[in-house]
Amino acid sequence: MSFEEFQNRARLFVVGALDPDEMAEFEGARREFGEKAEAFIVECYSLSEAFALSLKPAKASDQIKARLMEMVKNRQTH
Amino acid sequence: MEGIQREDSEALSHLYDRYNGILKALVLRVIHNEAEADDLLQEIFMEIWNQAKNFSAQRGKPLGWMVTLARRRAIDGLRKKQAYARAEERLQHETEQQPDAWVHNSTEEEILDGDRRVLIRRVIGMLPPAQQQAIELAFFRGMSQREIAAKTNTPLGTVKTRLELGLKKIYDGLKELRDEL
Repeated sequence: MSFEEFQNRARLFVVGALDPDEMAEFEGARREFGEKAEAFIVECYSLSEAFALSLKPAKASDQIKARLMEMVKNRQTH
Repeated sequence: MEGIQREDSEALSHLYDRYNGILKALVLRVIHNEAEADDLLQEIFMEIWNQAKNFSAQRGKPLGWMVTLARRRAIDGLRKKQAYARAEERLQHETEQQPDAWVHNSTEEEILDGDRRVLIRRVIGMLPPAQQQAIELAFFRGMSQREIAAKTNTPLGTVKTRLELGLKKIYDGLKELRDEL
């Protein structure tokens, strides 16, 4: 696999669109290209961030945070 | 994130305040149900708390990590509840996923977020509709390339090309925007 092909696959990988049969080949190329591959994958996460940021924020119910913090507090005391 | 790794609950509180709106919007976009989205959001922040030790700043920004985690949980939730049919029905009636939340005075940060959203949407909006649809189905519906091909009655190779071209254009567009963001 060329690095350009790897880049295409990496973009599919971060948005969860890589088919299972492509995954093994992708992981092999990832090992082969090493640090260069890892650095590119990190950059690709800007895609999934952007898809989330393209949405209008939604306000969660006020109870959610209270319940969450209560659960965390309980864990810390046990 | 370092605070959460040290199990500082105040840090989780700040993280929640900063990102709950983005993560809830993402979850809502996937499952299209307010109450289920709220429940999932709570589970997601609990998972963030529990998994924070696995986060490494060298492997990306906290938002990318949280979005990946939230998306996976939302898609798992959608599949578990076998809500595809119900979600599809709702999708047909919804052009935009969000009610008018955020009805209060905007902070400077929110205005900046709004500007960023417009810029990102502009980049995505420049794609041909077929490429946008393929990406939408993959990212927000968790569909495999084969499932997208079947749903859109399109050859698998064409779906692959649409995804690759679309994602590359968005990636390049975002790179150009990075200074503005």
